[in-house]
Amino acid sequence: MSTKPAIAVDKLNVSFGDSHVVKDLSFAVASGESYGIVGESGSGKSTVLRVLSGLNRDWSGMIAIDGGVQPKARDKAFYRNVQMVFQDPYGSLHPKKTVDDTLAEPLAIHGIGDAEKRIGRAMAEVGLPASFRFRYPHQLSGGQRQRVAIARALVLEPSILLLDEPTSALDVSIQAEVLNLLQALRKERKLTYILVSHDLAVVAHMCERLLVMQFGRGVEEMTARTLAARNPQTAYAQQLLTASEGFRRG
Amino acid sequence: MEQPLLELDNLRVDFHTPTGIVHAVRGLSFTLGRERLGIVGESGSGKSMTGRAILDLIPHPGVVTADRLRFRGQDLTTMDKGARRKLRGRHISMVMQDPKFSLNPVQTVGHQIAEAYRIHHKAGAREARERSLAMLEQVQIREPGRVYDLYPHEVSGGMGQRVMIAMMLIAEPEILIADEPTSALDVTVQLQILKILDDLVTQRGMGLIFISHDLHLVQSFCDRVIVMYGGKAMETLPAAELADEAARARRHPYTLGLLGCLPDLDHPRAELATLKRDPAWLA
Amino acid sequence: MSDVTTAHTSWHDWLISNDPVSRRQARLGQLYRQWLAFRRNPAAMVGLAIVVLLLVVAALAPVISPHDPIAQALDKRLLPPSATYWFGTDSLGRDIFSRIVYGTRVTLVIVLLVVVTVGPIGLLIGCAAGYLGGWVDTVLMRITDVFLAFPRLVLALAFVAALGPGLENAVIAIAFTAWPPYARVARAETLVIRNADYIAAVRLQGASQWRIVMKHVVPMCLPSLIVRSTLDMAGIILTAAGLGFLGLGAQPPIPEWGAMISAGREQIFDQWWVATFPGIAICVVALGFNLLGDGLRDVMDAR
Repeated sequence: MSTKPAIAVDKLNVSFGDSHVVKDLSFAVASGESYGIVGESGSGKSTVLRVLSGLNRDWSGMIAIDGGVQPKARDKAFYRNVQMVFQDPYGSLHPKKTVDDTLAEPLAIHGIGDAEKRIGRAMAEVGLPASFRFRYPHQLSGGQRQRVAIARALVLEPSILLLDEPTSALDVSIQAEVLNLLQALRKERKLTYILVSHDLAVVAHMCERLLVMQFGRGVEEMTARTLAARNPQTAYAQQLLTASEGFRRG
Repeated sequence: MEQPLLELDNLRVDFHTPTGIVHAVRGLSFTLGRERLGIVGESGSGKSMTGRAILDLIPHPGVVTADRLRFRGQDLTTMDKGARRKLRGRHISMVMQDPKFSLNPVQTVGHQIAEAYRIHHKAGAREARERSLAMLEQVQIREPGRVYDLYPHEVSGGMGQRVMIAMMLIAEPEILIADEPTSALDVTVQLQILKILDDLVTQRGMGLIFISHDLHLVQSFCDRVIVMYGGKAMETLPAAELADEAARARRHPYTLGLLGCLPDLDHPRAELATLKRDPAWLA
Repeated sequence: MSDVTTAHTSWHDWLISNDPVSRRQARLGQLYRQWLAFRRNPAAMVGLAIVVLLLVVAALAPVISPHDPIAQALDKRLLPPSATYWFGTDSLGRDIFSRIVYGTRVTLVIVLLVVVTVGPIGLLIGCAAGYLGGWVDTVLMRITDVFLAFPRLVLALAFVAALGPGLENAVIAIAFTAWPPYARVARAETLVIRNADYIAAVRLQGASQWRIVMKHVVPMCLPSLIVRSTLDMAGIILTAAGLGFLGLGAQPPIPEWGAMISAGREQIFDQWWVATFPGIAICVVALGFNLLGDGLRDVMDAR
């Protein structure tokens, strides 16, 4: 059994000009684990994902994937291993490309053959009917687009999936379907997830462990069980929990 | 028994597009008194359209019809455009989702609040400014003088929404329609804004229509709730009953479905229940 | 009769289908839907009709024109419009109607040559500058600025002085000053597009910068390019006419409309038809391209 964590981050610092967005962040995610990062706007949680994925190259610290330390610019092999699902289903698919084009593109970039079969399989796995294959994004609903985004992330068969608020732009009933899909896929393919969200209930449902971030720092790391028992150690985490319970009059 | 603030009977909003008629709202009926009424639904349920129809803000090619649409006994359907416009802001007002998009970026926030006052009351610049500053205090903004001169991009989301509320309440309307007023805000800020709204509505004895997709929030904030789907009301019920386990048997299957598919910190499940849409609900 | 209608409706259904079964059906379906939207705009249809008329007349010029456009008949100079000479004759006895008909070919050649070179070059330069940023952006944009600084007619004069007058040199002169706006607009659009999640997604697949620009950024800039080109055509026609008027464009006896107006300006009060008919032709064609461009913009580039 490998003891190397799938993802290890040590003293990560990210700044955009004068603003120091991520400060001395360290955490590790084991292989096959689902790890949540929770925070409000300005906490730096989405920036962490962008740095992990290689989209953002202005950072200092150490990032290791499966034991291998990562440079700022990643190579193609990295992208076969690590993929991302974005928040906004209305912005993450190219408006002028059909579902087929979108799924074929990563295969073409990596020179992977039998695209026909792989595309068909990817669509079936995310529950999209085959008849949707040549639709354009504007002919799909938000939930359907997000399924395409998930299929696109999985068509290269990565082992790590970075999920940036994948359901916050979706209706509650669609969110349930997509979350169930993500759970099933993780089990089936033994994937490692990092799920970023502002919604504590979603994170508690999807993740085993989670990190609470505030103003760029990791405030508290806890298990989902601690969260469900409403037993956090820091005041900020308690504040988030109380706020998630809804409005209290008086 | 006091006259209701708003009476709505069989409201219909139809959009006549080149490719066919889209029925956004189909036959919605309710009355609003001095209470907090929540309208809950997913996207496409018609909840936002309802708010806009009351204010006569439905764009072409939308058509609004109703058997009865009365504000304090006055018939809104037979009113002319000018009279309808006078109601807007002065008697019925609306707060929308994102202050980034509803505040004019090239005017200071204070100026916009003062202007909102002067549209409805004859007042000089100084009086309008005084009233605006007073209003900013009422929405818990600590340095009203400083904030008055800020531009919308210089204030945070929560403060921007407070400015919106100040702007929309300064003319002292009887009804406030809030369309997803806290959806763009962080959770901790949301509750602050709701408290401000709650206090103002109670103090002034207003009627509040709170439109949201967040069932949880509406259940904890409102007095009564209308659950909408596909342009129709599935059911209308007291908000407390939504959380009441004992009352579940009386719930409409759509409401139960919505409640069931939410992840719940206190009741962890391996898989979330999904909503089975029954076409009979749209009939 | 019913066979024709059922054939029509089944084509329509095939194109309009929400579940296309091939890439071709999907793309054709998209174009068809755009056509249906375009068709609802009466002004756009008028513009299309004018442009189609231009193309048809140019194609069928030998068939349509009653007389030889360059044959001189010095005993028939400056005759007013009549049954034989529909638009009258010019100072060398040539039939003006036939010259206008053949002039459509000249106009089309100029417009197409310019647009076909200028559009792609401007697009590529703009997208590359916008996406790659850094020194590439700076260098390309300063080059663009240099070309943008030249007034069209002055540059054309310079070309003519250097290379001599003629149709090809006029086209080159116009092209040289027409491409910068396309580059600028493409760059501005690219700056917005490159922050989109769908571009981030393709970066995350390991695509090279070249692939991203050509396959993902350029397709998003195409609709506005097509619209701008169409609207620009009117301007190009007017510039070419201006050059022709100055004697710098197509040389006699080629029937270029601008040159025809110039030739008729001495006689404008007594023999008004010599300058007026070519002038009307220029107006109508420029208007047609403008209306077509507006219609295309509503359908393709709606903001």
